[in-house]
Amino acid sequence: MAGIKFATPAAKPDEYRNVFVFLETREDKLIKPALEMIGVGKKIADKVGEKLYCVLLGKDIKKEADEAASYGCDVILGAESPDLGTYRTLPYSRIISDFVKEEKPNIFLIPATRNGRDLASRIAVSCEAGVTADCTELDIEQDTRILSANRPTYGESMLAEILCKKHRPQMATARPGIFPVPEKVKSPKGEIRIKKANIDPSLLKKEVLEFRKKNTVDLTDSKVVVSGGMGLGKPEGFGILKELAGEIGGVVGSSRPAVDMGWITRDHQVGQTGQTVRPRLYIAAGISGKIQHIMGMKNSETILSINTDPGAEILKYSDYVINADLYEAIPALINSIREKKKSPAAAAKK
Amino acid sequence: MTLEIIVMVKQVPDKQEVVIDPVTMNLNRSLTRNVTNSADENALEAALRIKDKTGANVTVVSMGPPQAETTMIECLARGADRAILASDRFFGGADTYPTGLTIAATISKIGKFDIIFAGEESSDSSTGHVGPGVAEFLDIDQITYASNVEYEDGHVIADRELEGGTEIVKVPLPVLVTVLLNSNTPRMQTLRRKIDATRKGIEMWDHDKIGLQPEWVGVRGSPTIVRKMNPIREKERAAKKIEVRNIKELVDELYEKNILKLEEE
Ligand SMILES: Cc1cc2nc3c(=O)[nH]c(=O)nc-3n(C[C@H](O)[C@H](O)[C@H](O)COP(=O)(O)OP(=O)(O)OC[C@H]3O[C@@H](n4cnc5c(N)ncnc54)[C@H](O)[C@@H]3O)c2cc1C
Repeated sequence: MAGIKFATPAAKPDEYRNVFVFLETREDKLIKPALEMIGVGKKIADKVGEKLYCVLLGKDIKKEADEAASYGCDVILGAESPDLGTYRTLPYSRIISDFVKEEKPNIFLIPATRNGRDLASRIAVSCEAGVTADCTELDIEQDTRILSANRPTYGESMLAEILCKKHRPQMATARPGIFPVPEKVKSPKGEIRIKKANIDPSLLKKEVLEFRKKNTVDLTDSKVVVSGGMGLGKPEGFGILKELAGEIGGVVGSSRPAVDMGWITRDHQVGQTGQTVRPRLYIAAGISGKIQHIMGMKNSETILSINTDPGAEILKYSDYVINADLYEAIPALINSIREKKKSPAAAAKK
Repeated sequence: MTLEIIVMVKQVPDKQEVVIDPVTMNLNRSLTRNVTNSADENALEAALRIKDKTGANVTVVSMGPPQAETTMIECLARGADRAILASDRFFGGADTYPTGLTIAATISKIGKFDIIFAGEESSDSSTGHVGPGVAEFLDIDQITYASNVEYEDGHVIADRELEGGTEIVKVPLPVLVTVLLNSNTPRMQTLRRKIDATRKGIEMWDHDKIGLQPEWVGVRGSPTIVRKMNPIREKERAAKKIEVRNIKELVDELYEKNILKLEEE
């Protein structure tokens, strides 16, 4: 029972300074949710005049460290070893917990990806810290330096504000796709501190035998998403959505049942169990607007819905509504857009 | 040597029937039916499949109020051998830290364990943090978000479903495995087993029996507190109606307002 210990409050919260973020990598690149952590971490650090520390582990991380610096990290705390090439729970959580114990950050943010969640509560227990999962809003109270960690609950109908008053660091995992990716800074001056890690062989017993990569579309990068649902009625319906998306530089998304029907692959799914998108324009064609779908797209800047049902729930999430058969509305949209692109104004822009 | 398998389960409010009290903004538990967390049923099934092959002993463990007994009986009726419910008024209001501590201490008290299963997350709090927390308290390795869990010669081999693909991992015992929702089809309860389980009953352990101090657990042992609950207010949107014959005007407006941009296509 060596590990059984209750959470002892931090003796001196004042000794804990600065904001840590964990930068998850995939195939030698920072993943987008990691960049999102840099964005929100920097905002929090700036608000109380503290530094943003980025924690980065891998086999050879010079490139990733430079990338982190280019987004404005103040300090990159790195550990390198051939054994850190792929994420594994034990070596990662041990090394990062040691960083936490040495540097004493006030706040530690981790992306709520699968590996991020695998890691976060191991560190929290190891460091006797409080952690709030899957946050969608994060802020810091200026005078107390207490993190306001907000997470949706009860089927997304409520937002719970959670505080960790006496334990340090104050940890949170943050939902991917919610926080914006920051701009790059003009002259990066982050301090890069990479050490060679010596890892106890007892931490390396997990073998990663294989990784079967999925070819996936990243809907979150696109400025325009054109999604279809059961209202398409048939798999071929995605054809005209693709045509429309092609005209306006967009990608095709879908509701879950359309995926479950095998009309389109899972990587196109938007919603609670799919991707969270916030494009400039989201078009929902033949989608009723059930909460699990809405969760994945409600933060889009503009939403246009096309639905035959004048009472569909999607209406109250829409800026524009075309109450018509999508097989009539979408060809009309495509035509008008093509006309527009032929206009003299369009020619002048090109 | 018989393999000792532990399955962590939780009783949760039925998702279909969540009723929020409009005054306190809290879950109205008296109006909500309780069920076994779905992913935990997949975790139990993964354990029972290993039991079918190896004759392992399967013990289900939960922390919760006394009414969680129905969930424990259900697990016995599906094929578990023993059920222990950590139940104590001091355990109430726990966040993920003391929850992990309480379950880990309960498992330590049981003694030997080779594989610990849990669901990927609970449907009511959706953190996915308790499983890994227990593994850290017990100082053992873990496999999260697993499907296709196999036991082979002192090792667990499983698929981990990640955002970019599937990772296949092999870990020597002891190990904690969190199982994906819907990754297998849980077997039915049998009437025979249900009758036996109801007759035999389950074990209830309090903080004293487990060896925990009251101030370590529940709300007192929780680093985090809920300050407020706010209804989520969605952005008001105009739902401006467009007729199909007026789509040209809509397209003009979208370009006008830079919602669509010509230079992008
Ligand atoms: C745990 C869980 C997780 C889930 N996760 C997700 C998720 O991630 N993403 C997701 O999308 N769903 C998810 N769902 C499912 C969700 O609850 C809904 O069932 C789903 O979003 C409905 O999909 P739909 O709108 O395509 O279909 P429907 O609800 O069947 O709606 C079809 C719509 O098309 C309209 N329509 C029909 N014909 C036409 C036509 N010719 N032209 C125009 N409109 C037409 C209809 O009026 C209707 O509004 C989840 C459910 C659960 C329980």
